[in-house]
Amino acid sequence: MAGSGHDVTMTPSLDTADPEEVLLLAADAARLVLESGGETYRAEETAAAFASALGGAEAECFATPTGLVLSFTGMDGRVRSIVRRISKRAMNLERIVRIDELVRRLGSGSADFAAAAESLDQIERLPPRHLALSLLGAAATTGFFTLLFGGAWNDALVSALVGILVSRIGPRLARKTLPDFFINLVAGAAATLLCLLALRLGFSTNSNATVIGVIMILVPGVAVTNAIRDIVAGDLVAGVARGADAFMAAAAISVGAGGAHQLWRLVTGGAA
Amino acid sequence: MSQFLEPLWAGLATLGFSLLFDLRGRDLPLAALGAALGWAVSAPLAAASGSQAVGFFAASCVIGIWAELLATLLKRPASVYIVCAIIPLVPGGGMYMTMLEYVRGNTMEAFRVGLATIQAAGAIAAGLAVSSAVSRLLSLRSLARRLSPHRARGAKGQGGRK
Repeated sequence: MAGSGHDVTMTPSLDTADPEEVLLLAADAARLVLESGGETYRAEETAAAFASALGGAEAECFATPTGLVLSFTGMDGRVRSIVRRISKRAMNLERIVRIDELVRRLGSGSADFAAAAESLDQIERLPPRHLALSLLGAAATTGFFTLLFGGAWNDALVSALVGILVSRIGPRLARKTLPDFFINLVAGAAATLLCLLALRLGFSTNSNATVIGVIMILVPGVAVTNAIRDIVAGDLVAGVARGADAFMAAAAISVGAGGAHQLWRLVTGGAA
Repeated sequence: MSQFLEPLWAGLATLGFSLLFDLRGRDLPLAALGAALGWAVSAPLAAASGSQAVGFFAASCVIGIWAELLATLLKRPASVYIVCAIIPLVPGGGMYMTMLEYVRGNTMEAFRVGLATIQAAGAIAAGLAVSSAVSRLLSLRSLARRLSPHRARGAKGQGGRK
């Protein structure tokens, strides 16, 4: 019978996996999903899928962008739970893809506890992309957005260069554990000042298209959309939290950009 | 000319953003193609209807269906493609303009731009929700699964996909 073969392959994982270890692993998987910019429901379903595939009778997860609670009933009938705080969030789709693959493997019974723990560890320690590729990404994003918003070729070139510089501000300041609000403020101000400078020096002609092109790599447009998607899906707390996060980021960038405009007007005496 | 160039710029900008989001391999051009398709639908519709939200709604429907098809064929989460392909549509610039007008003291203009921004984000979210529901109703997944070279098994944890 196919069913009995299925049972045989499942038995070792049930025997060897300690419920506490399963709980920790499931919570880590959900934390990794949220830290990589995954949706709320994906984090919750990942935790539940890990827990049930590795020998839990019942698992329930409640996730928000800043933390998650996972409660888990083992085969012994005892209830265990864990809280994880999430402080850093950065979009990393490669991690999301690999965690999704791992969940599929667990669901089909082709991965046991040891294999899942090892894969998850590998996913967590996934090396970042080569710096040159990130710089190319920043340049392409800002340059082509400037073209899309009606800029000319020289505007696109300016915004690509400014985009490369601005894209490095975040990681550089984040290393000094500065708050996100301050990082966004500095990045918004730097983007605006550099674009105004290029306009003044005659390298670019359309300052609006140039600034907005650069700002596009800073602003949380995807976060706003995901916040509304969370709310539509019924994850009300997570959606409101994501919306607040996006709102604060946009506020910081705009305060930086607005301040830079004022400063520029003071320095140049009202020109441009 | 611009109706051919604009989708190209949108696709290439998405390609850049996908690199920043650490998307890899063949998913990169596929996400960029989705963004170009979305923009090609959105711009003419917005011009014809006089409402940006209508264009964004239709574009995110197209992107959603495209992503669901790819997700089933390539066994990837659909949102990997969605997150990248909606980038030209998402109202990041609107968020920025809203706050900038407010910082400059133009409160009424900030309200106007702010409401348009929320409307745009809502239209995109609605389009994605509709395309996800429609693709489930039409069992796009089972159709794509039949087309698929490697027979996908009904993956766990996907029942609640939005």
